[in-house]
Amino acid sequence: MAAAELGAHPMFAGRGMWLPLAVLALGGCAALGLSLAVGSASVAPEMLWAVLRGEGDALSRTLVLELRLPRSLSAFAVGGLLAVAGALMQVLLRNPLADPYVLGLSGGASVGALAAMLAGLGGAVITGSAFAGAFASTLLVFGLAHGTGSWTPSRLLLTGVVVAAGWGAVITLMLALSPAERLPGMLYWLMGDLSYSRTPWPPLALLLVICLLLMPLGRSLNVMARGPLQAAALGVKVRPLEWGIYLAASALTAMAVTTAGSIGFVGLVVPHMLRLVLGNDQRLILPACALAGGTLLVLADTLARTMIAPEQLPVGVITALLGVPTFLYLLYRSR
Amino acid sequence: MAMIISAPAVLPLSASTLGGRRLLGRLAGLALALFPWWGASAQADPVCVVDDRDREVCLAAPASRIATLSPGATELTWAAGGGDRVVAVVSYSDYPPEAREVTSVGSHTRVDLETLVSLEPDLVIGWVTGNPIEQLETIEALGVPVFYIEPRSVDSVATTIERLARLAGSEAQGDAVAAEFRAAMAALADEYADAEPVATFYQVWDEPLMSVNDEHLIGEVVRLCGGVNVFGELSRLVPRIDDEAVLAADPEVIVAGGMGEENRHWLTHWQQYPGLAAVERDNLFFVPPSLIQRPTPRLLEGSRILCEKLEVARGRR
Repeated sequence: MAAAELGAHPMFAGRGMWLPLAVLALGGCAALGLSLAVGSASVAPEMLWAVLRGEGDALSRTLVLELRLPRSLSAFAVGGLLAVAGALMQVLLRNPLADPYVLGLSGGASVGALAAMLAGLGGAVITGSAFAGAFASTLLVFGLAHGTGSWTPSRLLLTGVVVAAGWGAVITLMLALSPAERLPGMLYWLMGDLSYSRTPWPPLALLLVICLLLMPLGRSLNVMARGPLQAAALGVKVRPLEWGIYLAASALTAMAVTTAGSIGFVGLVVPHMLRLVLGNDQRLILPACALAGGTLLVLADTLARTMIAPEQLPVGVITALLGVPTFLYLLYRSR
Repeated sequence: MAMIISAPAVLPLSASTLGGRRLLGRLAGLALALFPWWGASAQADPVCVVDDRDREVCLAAPASRIATLSPGATELTWAAGGGDRVVAVVSYSDYPPEAREVTSVGSHTRVDLETLVSLEPDLVIGWVTGNPIEQLETIEALGVPVFYIEPRSVDSVATTIERLARLAGSEAQGDAVAAEFRAAMAALADEYADAEPVATFYQVWDEPLMSVNDEHLIGEVVRLCGGVNVFGELSRLVPRIDDEAVLAADPEVIVAGGMGEENRHWLTHWQQYPGLAAVERDNLFFVPPSLIQRPTPRLLEGSRILCEKLEVARGRR
């Protein structure tokens, strides 16, 4: 098999792949700009410009620089993390239904976060506890799927799905036992909500680092997507690569979930959407996922906080409402 | 509403007892920047009050733009005499009626921080268990002091009103309202101190069926009226129970809230069990939930109604 075949879409082979990335990056910048300009409080365009140049009155500076900017950057980072994690999981499990949460990671994080909320703890403790839960879930699935016998993607998938079901039961139990006044906060966390995010820098940094690490692996990932036997035949060290993908996807998801709760849909559909348009070359798909996932979540969050302001909607609702018709349209057109 | 604004009475305060002198300095600086006409005297008269998270909240001068982030906080601030200083409320802030005219900043579970910040409050009244702590911390990080409240007992209704009055600079009215509430509740307690005990079941919600334990505010009112809460010993504040538990406890009186103010259908549910003492004697009573489930001065009216109902039940023995 020739290497050129592995990048499925010849149009974007080689230098041509920078064009779609540039378009997506421009789209991301536009979405970020929009999210800074729009909100429940109105900031005039010339005032927004003044604030961005480091001037402007105190109130506008607070609104734009301390409320909107960190939240939008967090949204971008979380969307990117989830989309890249979803793309990796789909390659790893060779299953189009795989998403970042399929192996129970968000369940573990949710149990951690809810436990902290039940104990009446807030803020950084919830974040830490959610991360611990995600980490514990990753290790559990890793250990059990590794087991004593042979290791296959379907074994990993089954282990993850069952562990996820277990976390689901624990979450329901916790919700049933929790005092009524804590329920709304817990439900919002489970639905995914960016008002919990504190600083955007850790998720942004992780997104950048993982994308840079994955760059040289693009070709191996392309081969992996075709099946482990072919990959092994072509000289790819399958086992280390698989565990590497699993760990990278877990780290990405854990960071996303601890930043903003379990936001659904982005991780499942953004990679598929991009494959329908750009073809299945992981060298292009992975950075494109980071940009498109981030853009989608920034737009969704902007809508979530302005649509029925001052009431705030959970962002997960909007990602699905935006993404479902777009995806169905692309799928329909691709036949 | 008549407003009496007295000179700020300052709680005893020395530099050594003050938790965050730097914080005070910052707040004073902020207030001075916002209200330069106070000048030096404002700095000399700071108001410091301990909130329900045991933190000392200090204002350089009484707040003039207050945001109340729960319906209860709105009602208590109005009772404390700070109603005309409230610039932001949340959904369901329906009492007093004037509160409906104030700008809403979303629901208490999700506050629209942008709208809140643009209203430029100089004091935010937060709800310990009801508001998301991240959002309250963000508000504090933006330099607006947050006073957390969590009134859970009859007495804390009065102390919360007194503390809010300090912060709003309306001690005269707040202290009067609090004293009146305390005296009236004490009189009610005296009246029923020697009353015959009545086994009472208070129904907070119907699906799932929920009651309250003795530590709950409503449990306290039931006790005050000479009632014995049949689920008072349960460990959870708002226990979820089933019909069987009620049949086993066989209360003499069933009191229900309900979703609306005149909605009695929760009580008809119990009429399918004619063997219950409460049903046999027709001791199924309705108390408007807003009068007894909210820790505000209206609790007095709700308590009076509940006590009267229990007295009716005693008369039917």
